[in-house]
Amino acid sequence: MTRRTVLLTTAIVGLVLVSLSLYTVSETQFALITQFGRPVRTVTNAGLHGKWFFQRALRFDKRLRVYNPAPSEFLTRDKKNLVIENYVAWRIEDPGRFVQSVGDVPSAEMRLHDIIWSGLSAAIGNADLDSLVSTDQTKLESTSILDSITASSDRAALEQYGLGIEDVRIKRLNLPEQNKQNVFARMRAERGRIAMQYRAEGEEQALALRATADRQKEEILSAAYKESETIRGKGDAEATRIYGEAYAKNPQFYKLTRTLESYKKILDDKTTIVLNSDSDLLKILTRGQGGVK
Amino acid sequence: MSILISPPVFAAESVEPAQPPKRHRLRQVAGWVLGLWLLSGVYIVQTDQQAVVARWGRVVEPRVFPGIHYSLPWPIDKVYKLKVRELRRTVVGGQIPDVVLGRQANNSQFFSGDQNLLNIRVVAQYSVSNPRDFLFSTQNPDQVVGLAVESELVRRVAHTKVDDILTTQKLAIQNDILLSAQRDVDSYGAGALLSSINIESVSPPPETADAFRGVAGARSDAFRIVNEADGYANDLIPRARGEADQLLDQANSYANGKINHAQGDASHFEAVAAEYSKSPAVTSTRVYLEVMELVLPKMKKLIVDGNSNLDLSVIGRQDGGNEGTPQR
Repeated sequence: MTRRTVLLTTAIVGLVLVSLSLYTVSETQFALITQFGRPVRTVTNAGLHGKWFFQRALRFDKRLRVYNPAPSEFLTRDKKNLVIENYVAWRIEDPGRFVQSVGDVPSAEMRLHDIIWSGLSAAIGNADLDSLVSTDQTKLESTSILDSITASSDRAALEQYGLGIEDVRIKRLNLPEQNKQNVFARMRAERGRIAMQYRAEGEEQALALRATADRQKEEILSAAYKESETIRGKGDAEATRIYGEAYAKNPQFYKLTRTLESYKKILDDKTTIVLNSDSDLLKILTRGQGGVK
Repeated sequence: MSILISPPVFAAESVEPAQPPKRHRLRQVAGWVLGLWLLSGVYIVQTDQQAVVARWGRVVEPRVFPGIHYSLPWPIDKVYKLKVRELRRTVVGGQIPDVVLGRQANNSQFFSGDQNLLNIRVVAQYSVSNPRDFLFSTQNPDQVVGLAVESELVRRVAHTKVDDILTTQKLAIQNDILLSAQRDVDSYGAGALLSSINIESVSPPPETADAFRGVAGARSDAFRIVNEADGYANDLIPRARGEADQLLDQANSYANGKINHAQGDASHFEAVAAEYSKSPAVTSTRVYLEVMELVLPKMKKLIVDGNSNLDLSVIGRQDGGNEGTPQR
């Protein structure tokens, strides 16, 4: 009976010891092995590991995480207020230093804020608004500003707190509420100007179209007039030639018939004619047969 | 997202009624328990899923494709299943507060390159490209993707003109964000693949909406004015062409008429002249008399003796004040 009890006790003690000296580290974790509170080593690769039963394994999440604080106001070099919302992608890089200097995530975020925001406000205070917001891409410096802040704060954070800063980014650029009204007023004025420009340009185009149309009409009609007069002239000339050719064959007869023809038109009921009784027409009337030759 | 294969619970079996052949019975139960425990390692990955297997926390199978598989049972192996084909969605901008990304309501204003404010709402769609990274390398991959898209949107909008954002550049902005946000997501190792960035709505702030509508109105006004002018031109020129055709037609018919007339008159003359030359004296007398017959009846006639002097006052008396010109 006693032998059994001893055996059982040994087994239980052994199991407890084994379970105390084995620990797992997952893919998302670091493990910090402490011996009576003093860190002895950091385990970064996941899996099953062993330690002394009197040592403790502290686990830390090594995944990338995001610190996403409320927006804050900055002043640019040209004295413009900007509300900028940043986020910081960071992770615990050195668990030993982290646990000694910071301890937990909220206080880590506070330290990050201190390091990064002082750099940010210095960098933005050294930049014009144009270098953050501009249609001219060559003026923009926001990317390089953020990159240099990322690099410098990463160095500082790792040395002091064992934190790695992956990226500092601007996730929103805006204006303080009290400045927005000015911007809205400017936007409205700008729109008004653009609207006027559209109308004026439309008017201009319309006038040009009408003028072109009028000119084309004039051109078409005058060209037609020119051509029609040429045609009429040619017709008249041809007619004259035909008359000339025909009448030249017998000018004497033409003179007779044409003269008589014009009498028909010249002489009307208002004409009084005085006829000599000796005229060819009346000779016979006044002299009888003797009048004829 | 990840499905944990929970340990089989055998509590009920361990308190089976213990009957006479106690040792034998116990061994049988232990065998059953062991068998069931080993069997519990069987798992199925559905068609739209992929799985990651971790042994003691360390990934041993980074990508298990659909089908039936076996892993060591709990607590040794852990199977994480992930719907990789599923399109995930994240929204940037918009009026709805978002707890996951820590956004407040009414936070859709963006600052454009020419310092205008615009309300923009963008929807990004993405899927899992690397299940292992998606599960283990960031704390919240969905948040990381959303932030990458948002920061790239801010940067892109900050160097684009408001009119371009509202009109022509929309597609270019979407493509640029897709590329640069994917670069960011890759650098964070989030294991996600962006499939589309869609600017769902972009509009001026309500405070300036009237002014923007005014521009739209002006644009359509200008369009209308130009159209009207076009209409005027389209009416005027064909009409002028018609008029020109008419002028030419008239000229042609005039010329043809003249020529035909001339030809007619000429052939008439030639015919008559031919006959005239056969007997000129008689013909001329005849023609003369014919015309006189036609002309003289209408006129007032005074016949005077060829040798006596003419008292012109008779003309005045006969006419009753009407003046007549003595002819021939």
